[in-house]
Amino acid sequence: MRPIVLLAAVLCCLAAAARADGPTIAVFTKDLTNPFYEAFRNGAEMAVKGAGGRAVQYAPNRPDNIAEQMNQVENAIAAHPDAMILVPVDVKALAPAINKVNAARIPLVNAAERAPAGEFVSYVGSDDFAMARDTATLLLKAIGGRGKVIILEGNRGSETNRQRMDGFREALKAYPDVALLAAQPANYQRLQALQVTENLLQAFAQVDGILAANDSMALGAIEALAGAKRKAAVIGINATPEGIGAIKQGSLLASGDFDGFKMGCVAAMAVLRHLQGQVVPKTVALPVTVVDKSNYQPWDRPAGDRTCPAWAEIVK
Amino acid sequence: MRRLAALLLIGMVLAVASDGFLTAGNLFNLARQTSFLFIIASGATLVILAGGIDLSVGANLGLSAAVAATVIKATGSAALGILAAPAFGLLIGLINGCLVAVLRVPAFIATYGMLWVVQGLTYLYLPGGAIYGFPPEFRAIGTGSLLGLPVPVLVMGIFLAIGGLLLHATTFGQDIYAIGANPEASRLSGIPLRRRLVALYGVSGAMAGLAAVIYLARVNSAEAGIGEPLLLPAIAAVLVGGTSLMGGVGGVTGTLVGAAILTLLANGMNLLTIDAAWQPLATGVIVLLAVAVDMLSRRRLTVRSR
Repeated sequence: MRPIVLLAAVLCCLAAAARADGPTIAVFTKDLTNPFYEAFRNGAEMAVKGAGGRAVQYAPNRPDNIAEQMNQVENAIAAHPDAMILVPVDVKALAPAINKVNAARIPLVNAAERAPAGEFVSYVGSDDFAMARDTATLLLKAIGGRGKVIILEGNRGSETNRQRMDGFREALKAYPDVALLAAQPANYQRLQALQVTENLLQAFAQVDGILAANDSMALGAIEALAGAKRKAAVIGINATPEGIGAIKQGSLLASGDFDGFKMGCVAAMAVLRHLQGQVVPKTVALPVTVVDKSNYQPWDRPAGDRTCPAWAEIVK
Repeated sequence: MRRLAALLLIGMVLAVASDGFLTAGNLFNLARQTSFLFIIASGATLVILAGGIDLSVGANLGLSAAVAATVIKATGSAALGILAAPAFGLLIGLINGCLVAVLRVPAFIATYGMLWVVQGLTYLYLPGGAIYGFPPEFRAIGTGSLLGLPVPVLVMGIFLAIGGLLLHATTFGQDIYAIGANPEASRLSGIPLRRRLVALYGVSGAMAGLAAVIYLARVNSAEAGIGEPLLLPAIAAVLVGGTSLMGGVGGVTGTLVGAAILTLLANGMNLLTIDAAWQPLATGVIVLLAVAVDMLSRRRLTVRSR
């Protein structure tokens, strides 16, 4: 009996400590592994704290696990926060959970991956398609508009990956003299990208460019090129600190700035404005930036130094 | 060794289908990629042979890589990093062993729990970040060559030999098979069951730590999420290689064949540039075929020999 009493006491203490005065915002992200979502959580936390509120973070322990996120949303509804921010693990599969949030009349902001159905205060996201297209275009220009390229795909089923693939292919359409040798999956994983690139470099004697759907895969591809003593231009997406380091050093040509910190800030600012009765646009698209050797400096600093942008900077 | 025939058959098909397959460069890549998978799976093979399971090898690799990365960054010494990861992996393995052998927690639950403890610690330690950029003398373990062979392949060769000798030329090895076949009988016959089990889980953990060194040297970066995608391929390499999940049957040479089959499939699909949407299905069907044909021919053989 004793351990149970003790456990109950501990849980009560935790619950008491968890109470705060400002608005409580539940924030749902896709995983605990991707630096993008860590930055997203930091951004949301900073904006909510700045408004005297409290952000409660939820992320599946198994990265991108649908069932776990569904449960987390249901559990959070029971706690009845003032508002929620949701980055759905899967835009279609999370529909029932979104319906439950709507039914509980909890204001909901959708971020990063756009859900096709449900009532949202706003959708805050990057234009993955435009970002992938513009970053790929920079590479295609850099290799002189001719040559042979390969694509490293992220997870099948991820909406961001689908948009990025469409963006890459759209960029290739404008360069008929560039041949796409292969598009192969590496699931956003570095080791897998390294091995896939090693394999592809054996299959193709000439590879001029590699388009990777995130920085981790781009960095894996760079390792494979170095191992095979081959040269090719490589781009990634996300502008992670490691990616920025590689741009600075010259091994990565460019990275699309998928700015998690800024997105987390803006999603939280949107929901806070809504709670204060202000009007929020139905879609807030963060501006697309391609980071390369000419403009990397603002990204090349520690994450702790960052501050949220002003609302007027984003929504014009 | 009929699984070896399946491996050779897949290799022959690929040699005909792709010009790039039978090149020296590709064969070196295959050897390097197989060696990494073999090293994680080899320790798990011993545990499975003794009728247990180690679900924590992937997570263990992730945290051991983070530990080695931290040690190298803090001390600047590649050697300390190379020692730190297997030592840390060993520690986690010994805790697994104690949970299973002393507290009698079922192996699946003990190592499943450990998976999340270790994964959780990794998330707390590296929240969405990475530790990257290591000195060239350390990178050489993953990317360098010695006597014309990639270093990870040499490491694989060493541990294949140690594993083979351990299993087939020592009483420790005999004990593992005996424990896997019947733990109660083995205990009654005087085998120090607890000590053996703790040691086996320890070895499995240490091998995960050693694989972490190779991983880190090869990709030059430790991240929190690297372990999870490695668990199932590692267990699959053991089982595709013919080691029985029930214990008592199999060995490390089988695991080498299993790891090579899985690596060959991924390599072949890249070389043939098979569409991403078809790759999981193709992998599943070929693995099932390879094992089912083997099982079928094995049953025929036993029927005939009666």
